[in-house]
Amino acid sequence: MAAAPVPRTGTQPDADLLVKARHVTKKFGGLTAVNAVDFDIPRGSIVSLIGPNGAGKTTFFNMITGAYTPTAGTITFDGHHLVTQSGNRMRSLKPHAVTELGIGRTFQNIRLFGTMSALDNIRVGLHVHLKSHWWDAVLRLPSMRAEEEYSIQRGEELLELVGLEGRGNIWARNLPYGDQRRLEIGRALATNPKLLLLDEPTAGMNSSETAEMTAFIRSLRTRLNLSVLLIEHDMRVVMGISDRVTVLDYGEVIAEGSPAEVRANPRVVEAYLGRGAASN
Amino acid sequence: MSASSRPIQPGIVGWLTHLVSSALNLPGAYRRELERRRGRTLAMTILAVFAMAYPVLNRLYFQPFSRNVFPLPFPEDAVVTFMMIFGIMAIGLNIVAGFAGLLDLGYVAFYAFGAYTAAFLASPHFGSVSVVLFSNTIQGFPGIHFPFWMLVPLAMITAATFGVLLGAPTLRLRGDYLAIVTLGFGEIVPVVFKNLAAVNFDFGPIHLVNANLTGGNLGINPIDAPHFFGIKFGSSSGIAAVYLGMILLVGAILTARNLERSRMGRAWIAIREDEVAAEMMGINTVRTKLLAFGLGASFAGVAGVFQASYQGLTTSDFFTFATSILVLIMVILGGIGNIWGVLVGALVLVFVDKTFLPWLGLRFTEISPDLPNPSQFNFLIFGVLLVAMMRFRPEGFIPSRQRAAELHHAPPGQAIGAAATMGDAAIAGEEAVEELAAEQEAIATADEAAEVIDIEGPPGDAPGRAGT
Ligand SMILES: Nc1ncnc2c1ncn2[C@@H]1O[C@H](COP(=O)(O)OP(=O)(O)OP(=O)(O)O)[C@@H](O)[C@H]1O
Ligand SMILES: [Mg+2]
Repeated sequence: MAAAPVPRTGTQPDADLLVKARHVTKKFGGLTAVNAVDFDIPRGSIVSLIGPNGAGKTTFFNMITGAYTPTAGTITFDGHHLVTQSGNRMRSLKPHAVTELGIGRTFQNIRLFGTMSALDNIRVGLHVHLKSHWWDAVLRLPSMRAEEEYSIQRGEELLELVGLEGRGNIWARNLPYGDQRRLEIGRALATNPKLLLLDEPTAGMNSSETAEMTAFIRSLRTRLNLSVLLIEHDMRVVMGISDRVTVLDYGEVIAEGSPAEVRANPRVVEAYLGRGAASN
Repeated sequence: MSASSRPIQPGIVGWLTHLVSSALNLPGAYRRELERRRGRTLAMTILAVFAMAYPVLNRLYFQPFSRNVFPLPFPEDAVVTFMMIFGIMAIGLNIVAGFAGLLDLGYVAFYAFGAYTAAFLASPHFGSVSVVLFSNTIQGFPGIHFPFWMLVPLAMITAATFGVLLGAPTLRLRGDYLAIVTLGFGEIVPVVFKNLAAVNFDFGPIHLVNANLTGGNLGINPIDAPHFFGIKFGSSSGIAAVYLGMILLVGAILTARNLERSRMGRAWIAIREDEVAAEMMGINTVRTKLLAFGLGASFAGVAGVFQASYQGLTTSDFFTFATSILVLIMVILGGIGNIWGVLVGALVLVFVDKTFLPWLGLRFTEISPDLPNPSQFNFLIFGVLLVAMMRFRPEGFIPSRQRAAELHHAPPGQAIGAAATMGDAAIAGEEAVEELAAEQEAIATADEAAEVIDIEGPPGDAPGRAGT
């Protein structure tokens, strides 16, 4: 139950890098979805990953969270190797172990636990921080009951944080779309992450909701001391809150830099904005 | 239950204080509950009192009435005992199939493990040795004789171990595939018990020549009846056995309920709802599913050990596929996912099977001896009942709120809601389609063998993979 047995990097370089990915490649059969990508997330930063549809953004996400195993490359998070190689077989840390290390995520297509209440969705996110065993539950030992009370209280705090106070009893699937997005963030925050991965958090939102979400993400960094990796199609969001922007196209990094630099980069304009995939 | 707001002390002291304080709080809590939900609380109280008094009332009034005045289908002691046995099994299967959403068609195997635990460890079967432990059996009597209170945990451990062993290779399977593998396991186990009657085995210190391990077709009997404080709780002791069954059943209900309302219960339901998302939230899905298999199986272990000790015999014929299906029907009819629902399902089905249909048969023969005997058509009747139920009330007698919602306004609800908000001009129409397609994919994959590959489909791919 303690921290997963993850090998630490031998040296102590890049101490201010939370994520360091090198030459990360993912092939699906003949298709190279992500091709030799180098990618860093400095501690405390908001970094965006943009690119046209099918560029490989979600695939890259999934390799960080352990859902996909890279075909090649290395990823370290906070000094832990997320990918290891034994022989010529690549291995990823299991998603639940990655979560325990401190990475929380949301999904491009909302994946809440539909018929659980909003509060219980958050309490599932708290799972890794609750330690009681099944026998504690069977006997309802005091430690277990104290922990349950804590999870309710903490769950309600988190509901309030994401602006869903008073809606804890509603089933996730019955919440309006925007609230579902917020609840997903709340559930991810419940795992107490150091790094929050958001896959298109403003998809399907109107401009005022989008502005609200943008402000909310920015506030999270300061309040919770988080780093954020953001996938986003809405350029206003990306340009508004990112410290760094990386642009993927056909699985390759075609540009990397500050929002202003990226915006001015002609390759980006051609590959991304030129194709009309973005709104402005 | 307890409304104490005091901080909870850790450890055994805290637990004992809690026990005492909740015992003292009980009358107050009951009064509050009565004020809050009067009808429900009163009904539950009456039902509980009636259930506890039933064996006595049955003996004093119901059976004599039905013998002497007018024949009514009052279940006898043996039938009530089997209601308890199947109630325990239904509650156990509900953990696997209802909470964690893992369809198990071979649940009867664990019932068999429980029964044979009693058969091996509390009978004269292994006559070449004599092990008598805390038992009312005379010292030196041939065979192994463990007391019932030791058999129960042993059977739980045995069944849970095999539950985990069965669970391990099926972890990546879902839906149909899982059902087929568990079905196979449920078929194999009784056959193994049937065929271990003439075993020749020679390895290391073990020499078995034509050894009869399981009694083959004949099974094993006699098995010691449960006994506490010099009282026997076997089939010949009527009321006593019913009460022992009730105690075991209450234990099963409390255990299942406590599990449901815990971190583990939430993890099971999360896995049922969306396994990928559950794993991403830090749930070790492997361990959690194995736990469901193991704990679910242990309930059947208890049911099995009680059945064998109560009846005093066991044979592999008791553990047919039909029994697995019967328990599953109880769970589905009663209301999968809801402990009280599956319990009602078990009570009703045992009643119909063992009391009502035979009673109906007798009435038929009174009219004319040529009429068919409905007992012979029990599974036909259950089948019709199941079909009718699926048509009119698919969520069961007493549904879990979750299943009711799933079955009544199933897939489109959420997708439409999502699509409605997608009208925003900022979003390309393409994406709305993608969102919908992915939504459908999520629904379709719920029953499919889902690889991690399915995490988040690319737009073009989603509808295609929904069909695979
Ligand atoms: N599980 C999979 N199996 C096969 N191909 C896949 C799989 N997942 C992604 N791909 C392919 O990899 C490529 C990158 O997909 P990915 O989902 O990462 O794109 P994306 O950048 O997130 O796009 P979008 O903006 O549309 O979400 C696509 O061509 C997609 O078809
Ligand atoms: Mg994507």
